[in-house]
Amino acid sequence: MRTARYLAVALALLLVVSAATPLVSAQEPVRLRFVSLAWQEDAIAAVKALVAEWNRTHPNIQVEYQQVDWGSIHDYLVTSFQTGDVPDVFHYESPQVLDFGRMGYLTDLAPLISDDLRNDVLPNFWETVSIDGAIYGVPYIVEPFIVLYNKDLFEQEGIEVDPSEPMTWDELRAIAKRLTKDLDGDGRIDQYGAGLPLRSPANRILNLSMAFDGQFFYQENGRWVLRVGENELALPKLLHDMMYVDGSMATEGVGLSSSELMAGFLQGRYAMIPGVGAFTRHDLAALASDSFRWGVLPHPKATSARQGAVSQTLSIPAASKHPREAMAFIEFMMTTENMARLAYNDWLLPTRQSSLELPVFTTEEYGWDVVSASAASLSMANWQVVPGYEEVRSKVLNPLLQEYFYDRIDEATLVQRIEREGNRILERYR
Amino acid sequence: MARPLLSRARPVWTRRLVRTGLFLVLMLYVVFMAFPLFWLVLTSFKTQGEVVMATSFWPQGLHWANYRDALFTQGIFQSVKNSLKVSLVAALATLAVAAPAAYVTARRGGLVEKLFRGWILATQTFPHILIIVPLFIILAGLSLTNTHTGLSLVYVVANLPFVLWMLFGYVRSVPVELEEAAAVDGASGTQILIHILIPLMIPGLVATGMYAFITAWNEFFFALVLLKEPELLTIQVNLARFRGVEGFVRWGPLAAGSVLATLPALAVFAFVQRGLIAGLMAGSLKQ
Repeated sequence: MRTARYLAVALALLLVVSAATPLVSAQEPVRLRFVSLAWQEDAIAAVKALVAEWNRTHPNIQVEYQQVDWGSIHDYLVTSFQTGDVPDVFHYESPQVLDFGRMGYLTDLAPLISDDLRNDVLPNFWETVSIDGAIYGVPYIVEPFIVLYNKDLFEQEGIEVDPSEPMTWDELRAIAKRLTKDLDGDGRIDQYGAGLPLRSPANRILNLSMAFDGQFFYQENGRWVLRVGENELALPKLLHDMMYVDGSMATEGVGLSSSELMAGFLQGRYAMIPGVGAFTRHDLAALASDSFRWGVLPHPKATSARQGAVSQTLSIPAASKHPREAMAFIEFMMTTENMARLAYNDWLLPTRQSSLELPVFTTEEYGWDVVSASAASLSMANWQVVPGYEEVRSKVLNPLLQEYFYDRIDEATLVQRIEREGNRILERYR
Repeated sequence: MARPLLSRARPVWTRRLVRTGLFLVLMLYVVFMAFPLFWLVLTSFKTQGEVVMATSFWPQGLHWANYRDALFTQGIFQSVKNSLKVSLVAALATLAVAAPAAYVTARRGGLVEKLFRGWILATQTFPHILIIVPLFIILAGLSLTNTHTGLSLVYVVANLPFVLWMLFGYVRSVPVELEEAAAVDGASGTQILIHILIPLMIPGLVATGMYAFITAWNEFFFALVLLKEPELLTIQVNLARFRGVEGFVRWGPLAAGSVLATLPALAVFAFVQRGLIAGLMAGSLKQ
C-alpha cells in the first residue's frame, strides 16, 4: 500500500517536472548574432536603434549587434564558415554573397522571403543576389554613380545643366574642356573640368561601361571568356583622351580614391567629379563651407544610361541554427520605413519601391531626387557572376588599366594583355 | 708606453664641439621618432574637414568631440582595458613558461638545444591565417572562444618561440660559474634559478616581456576572429571600425582613439624602460 502511495507521488512529481520543463525552455529566448558593417555615426545609430526596437518587441528572439569593419569582413566570414561559428545574420555586398552562395555557405532565402518584400524590392536588385532561382541575400541598399559639380564654376562659364536628364559623355567632355583653365597664366592648368577617382579602376570602369554596352565577359560554349572590343574600350579611351588629348581631366585622379578627390573639388581644382558613388555627398555635406555651392547630376549616358550595381545585403549562413528567426529579423529590418531609415542614414538608396517613394528620397536637398531617379538605371554587371573575377580584377584589370591611364601602354597593348592574361586566369576556374 | 686616448688629447673646444654635434644628431633623431605621435595628437583635435582639406598643420581649435566619439560612441575605454588585461596576462604567462624553458635548454645544450631551436625556427614560418581554423576548433572544444583567457592563451603560444629565442641569449650571458658556486654552497636547481639566475636576467626578462606585451597589444587577426561580444573587443579591432569603404575614414575619432590607445603602452614603457635598455645591452658583448 505504502509502496503504491510512493509510486503515485513519484509519478505526480514526474508529471509536474515534465510539464514544467518545456515551459521553462519555451521562455528561453533564441539568441541571434547580427554582424553589421555600418561604420558612420548616423548609420551605426540607425542600426542600433532598430536592433534595440526589435529586442524590445520580440522578447523571445534577442539580437546581439556586432560591428565588423569593411577591411576585415571577408577574413572574418571565411573563418566563421570554416569553423562553423557563424553569425546568424550578416551584412555584406552582392558579389561576395553570390560567391559564398555558390560555395554552399549560405541559406537559400527564396522559400523564406515574404511576398510583400519579394514584390516590393525592384527586380533588378534581386538579380544581384540570385543564382538559378536561389536567393542568397536580401539586397537593401545600393549606391548609384553620380556627377558632383561646382555650381559657381558652371555659372561663371555660363553652363546650364538639367539634373532631371542625364547628359551624354560627349556633352560632359565638351563641358570639361570649357571649364579647364590656366587661371594664373603660368602655362599650367589650375582648374580641370573633371577629376575621376581611378585608384582601383576595374569595378568602376566595368560598371560604367554598361552605358556603352561594354560587357567584358562573354559566354562561349558555356564558358566565360574576357573580350575587349570597341564597346569595352569606349570608356577607357574617352577618359584617356580627356586626360592626354584635351587635358581636361586631371591625371592625378589615377592614383586617388573618391575621398581623396574631395579636397581638390572643394578647392576648385576640379569643376566636376563624375564616377563617384552617392555616398560621397555625405562627406561633401560635412566638409563644404556654407559658401561652397555644389550640386548633383545623373551619371552621363552613352548608348543607354545603364550602370552596374552592387547591392549591400543581409544574408543568413547555412550553418545558422535559427534561420527562420533570422529571417524574421531581416523582414523587420526590411520594412518600408526601416529600410528607408537604414538607407537614408547611410546616404544610399533603398531597394524597395515603397521606400524610394518616401519624401526623404524625392527631395532636392543634397540631390536625393537625382540619386533616386538613378535607381531605374541600375542593373547587375555580369562580372559579379564570373568565377575568378576577383583574381582577374586584382592581377590584370586594375594594374593594366592604371598603366593605360598613366599613358605607359597603348590601346593595342591594353587589349592584348587584358585578354591574354585575364583568360589565362579564367581558364583555371573552369 | 701606451698611447693616450684620442679624446683625452683633444682640446676642450673640440670635445665640446663633438658633444654638441652628437647632441644635435640625437635631437634630430628624437624629433624624427616622435613626429608621428605628435602628428597623431594634432590630428586628434582636428575636424574631418581640417584633415581632409589639409589646410593647416595645426588644428584650428581643440575639437574635443573626437575624444567624446572615441570614448563614448565607440567604447574605446573598454577596449583599452581589455587590451591591457589580455596583453599583460599574455606577457607574464609567456615569461613564466619561457624563462625556465630557456634556462634548461640553454644550459643543457647538445641535441635537445638543437631540436628546440629547429622547432622554434619552424614555427616562425607559418602564417597565422593558416592555423586559425584548427586553433579555433581546439579553443571551441575547451569553451575558450569569445573569452580573454582563450585569446591570452593564443598570444602565449604565438609569442613563446621568439621569446624563448631571445631568452637563450640572456641565459648564456650569465656565467655558469655563478651557478656552480651556488651549487657548491648547497643550493638546489630551483633555488639557483630563483635566487641567482632570475635576478641576473631581469633586464632580459623585461625586454622579452615588453616584446610579448607589444606583440599582443598590436595583434588584430586572432582578436577579430576569436572575440564576438562588443564588450570583449580589444583596441586594434575597435580602431578598425573607424574605416569605411573607398578610402573614407573617420579621421578625427580614429586619431583620438589611437592617442588613447597609445597611452597605456607608453606608460608601461616608461615604467620598465631602465630595465629594457639594460636588457637590450645584455648579452651584446662576448664574455
